[in-house]
Amino acid sequence: MRARARLAVERRDGRTVVTELRSAAPMTLLPQRSRLRRGTGTAVVHLVSSATAPLGGDDLSLEAHVGPGAHLQLRGIAATLALPGHKGERSHASIRFDIDDEASVEFLPEPTIVTSRASHSSVFTAQLADTARLRLRETLVLGRVGERPGSLDSTVEVVRGETPLLRQRVDIGDPALAASAAYLAGHRVLATELLVWGADPASAVSGDWWSLVPLARGGSLATALAADAVTAQRRLAEATAGHPGLSTVDGASELITFSVQNHSVANSRS
Amino acid sequence: MSAVLLVLADSRFPGGGHAHSGGVEEAAARGLITDENSLESFLCGRLRTNGLVSAAFAAAAVDGDWSTLDMELDARTPSPAQRAASRAQGKSTLRAGRVAWPSPLLNELSQPHHAIAVGALVQVAGGTRQEAAECAAYLSVSGPASAAVRLLGLDPFQVNAIVARMRITEIVDEALKGLPMLSAPALDLFADSHARIHQQEVRLFVS
Repeated sequence: MRARARLAVERRDGRTVVTELRSAAPMTLLPQRSRLRRGTGTAVVHLVSSATAPLGGDDLSLEAHVGPGAHLQLRGIAATLALPGHKGERSHASIRFDIDDEASVEFLPEPTIVTSRASHSSVFTAQLADTARLRLRETLVLGRVGERPGSLDSTVEVVRGETPLLRQRVDIGDPALAASAAYLAGHRVLATELLVWGADPASAVSGDWWSLVPLARGGSLATALAADAVTAQRRLAEATAGHPGLSTVDGASELITFSVQNHSVANSRS
Repeated sequence: MSAVLLVLADSRFPGGGHAHSGGVEEAAARGLITDENSLESFLCGRLRTNGLVSAAFAAAAVDGDWSTLDMELDARTPSPAQRAASRAQGKSTLRAGRVAWPSPLLNELSQPHHAIAVGALVQVAGGTRQEAAECAAYLSVSGPASAAVRLLGLDPFQVNAIVARMRITEIVDEALKGLPMLSAPALDLFADSHARIHQQEVRLFVS
């Protein structure tokens, strides 16, 4: 399956509006209307897989443009299962963001689970203007419980102006490499979060199998390794908690979303 | 084969490599390297990630454009502790290399990444891209292997055999194809954790 999806958002009258929305099965884009109307200034769009994807042979791409001063949250709904195709071809997915000045993107998808016969390549690229912000999370799970992972490579390239901030690739699927204490040290889950989001920590902050580090030329990277996804998320949260650029305002808006969805009051952190 | 490869890869080359364990000390402190088998697995992983990237950048540096390569290697080295270790070794390597192969070309560099210093010295000494890649790939495992002998009292003959088994040629072939960006998440975590603990208690190696 070959699919090209597009999304563009712009800032108009103090809020972010979706100006172009082209879904392409299996990549369906669903704007969250209530959030748009409420005028928080951030457009929330869910990226929903409307068919079983990625399957071997798939070639999927999403391009998104975020105009000056616009704010976009792109969210996943459920975990992505990388599954094999009929003839064992590799599947490809690429996502590209162009983010203008004073604009921001938060892309916080659910974990990607590399099933036993998967053969998948994913590429994320972002071109940032000088004052653009980006928050990008990735969680890779090596197989379902008790399952050996197939093959997956994931590349992240983020460039601000002409300066590369991060170029990083992870290869999954070679048991010897995954077991090596230099690579994943036998862990089943790798979670990372890139934060080009205001101030960076002055120096590295690290703990038990997690770290938050300032990159050489701007931005920070949080990394966590764990035996399971829940622990990985907890360690990643410990790492990002030390990020000075993640303001309390961002945290508060997430808490509100959470409480509405669950019909409960989220005041534990206030 | 030119003399530059032999001199740079020699453990007696005064490039400061003896002060770095390449993550071995932290991995050993966590009980992840305990014997020759776990060391071999560690070194294989190190060679295929950090070693591959270093080899590719050393090879590319033979053709110059060092400031672009510096920026590109920074983007592939998220850990500040790894960047500091790389630049410390690059500085020492350059200092020794300037005396051995004097050239005004080297004035462009001050605190280069280790791989770029290796490539630059191979260039001014008249060596090839392949030799630079071989040197950087070998150094990515030889130093950590010798650190493991000192830290854990492993059998030096067995450890030497492990280094001899490393698939350097395979990595060099891949390194000559372009600039890879394969990360090593555990090495990154070890580097920053080592740097933190190094400030609190005595450690044998700087990194």
